[in-house]
Amino acid sequence: MRPLLIPGLLLFGSLAFAGATTHTHKTDDRGVWLEIAQAPVKTRDWKNPYEGKPEAIAAGEKLFRQHCEECHGEDSKGHRHAPNLRSSGVQNATPGELAWLLRNGNMTHRMPPWAGIPEQRRWQIIAYIKSLGADPGASATNTAPASHGSLR
Amino acid sequence: MSSLSSVGSGGVWRTPVLRIAIFLVLLLSALGFAPRTCAQETPYFVAYSHHLEEPGNLEIETYSIYGTQKGAGDFIAPWMELEYGVTAWWTTEFYIDSQHTFGDSTVFTGTRWENRFRPLMHEHWINPVLYVEFENITDADKTLKEVVGSDSQFDAAEPNFEADASHAHEIETKLILSSDYKGWNFSENFISEKNLGHEPWEFGYALGVSRPLRLEATPQHCNFCRENIILGAEMYGGLGTTDLLTLSGTSHYVAPIAALQLPNGVTFSFSPGFGLNDNSHRVLLRWGMSYEIGGFGRKLRSLFR
Repeated sequence: MRPLLIPGLLLFGSLAFAGATTHTHKTDDRGVWLEIAQAPVKTRDWKNPYEGKPEAIAAGEKLFRQHCEECHGEDSKGHRHAPNLRSSGVQNATPGELAWLLRNGNMTHRMPPWAGIPEQRRWQIIAYIKSLGADPGASATNTAPASHGSLR
Repeated sequence: MSSLSSVGSGGVWRTPVLRIAIFLVLLLSALGFAPRTCAQETPYFVAYSHHLEEPGNLEIETYSIYGTQKGAGDFIAPWMELEYGVTAWWTTEFYIDSQHTFGDSTVFTGTRWENRFRPLMHEHWINPVLYVEFENITDADKTLKEVVGSDSQFDAAEPNFEADASHAHEIETKLILSSDYKGWNFSENFISEKNLGHEPWEFGYALGVSRPLRLEATPQHCNFCRENIILGAEMYGGLGTTDLLTLSGTSHYVAPIAALQLPNGVTFSFSPGFGLNDNSHRVLLRWGMSYEIGGFGRKLRSLFR
């Protein structure tokens, strides 16, 4: 059994590195805007049933800390591959577009789909993200193209 | 004392107690400093859903199964899993299996290496996942992570010294189909397993359904609240082989499941399973704990910068 155990552990370790190395290169957020632009038209008009509700925003913040903070940072301003959630691109996206992105993820840019979280909780997260407001200091790479529609 | 007496010049690293102590210190340090994340996993023991490990996260899992046995002693089979999200569409997992049979012995029964791939990059009504696993185990393995072919409880009655001498190299593939609807998860797995020796393909199935007790989150931080509890059930069994595609001689189980997902990344799971026919073990109790370490890959790499 030992002959397989050691190569197996080595392989596992190397995979961990392989996964980690894709973190290293700095990416701009264009992939996210392209992904948002893929959201079906009907999703744009989806309304967030929790929008502006303080309890839901507080619950959304709790969920953000559990699921999103690891990549998007404590201040939600992004980290390496993860975009700034206070950028104009995210803040100007409709709740429906964000709901679509959260459900489907952006797997080619390392964002997993979060469909395993109940829909209600995803809306609570979006209510929290929207409550953050735009960050005036967002860098150029964190700024969305002028119009999502132009990417469609 | 016996371990200390073996410590000589340069032999300190070979002392088993010291090695275990160093391992525990390193593990606890890693856990203490690791960012904890909360996974979005389903609570199944046998079935798989389409939700993969988040990229860069490592989940350390330890599970056990207690089974009643006709014709031999009951058994406990613990196994450990290391699950890593290589990308958002690829999860790899390494298993170490063992078992103890009452009135017999305790044996290490082998290792398994599993990979799951999501071929579609968006969510659909039904989401497929392709699963490939290589198993290097002995016939003494009783983890019952899957039931295929005409597996029955009588296979597990073989004494450990005989079963452990028989090695099996197997490839297992699964087509995982899974859907989420209004907080429910529905998963269907179609299993094919092939011993790399001259044996036919064996087939099996696993079905799972689960749902959190509460769909909305509350603003308060809580551990023992309804939003952290997931209930469900799974059913699994064999479907015969390429030589004899029949339900005759196969075994089948149904098992309710309860899981508690704590916000700090720890999940506790429990499932009492019940055999549905005479070929099945009468009772299979499963329990386990998992711990998710967020950003493990990045942390590991930063150590070597």
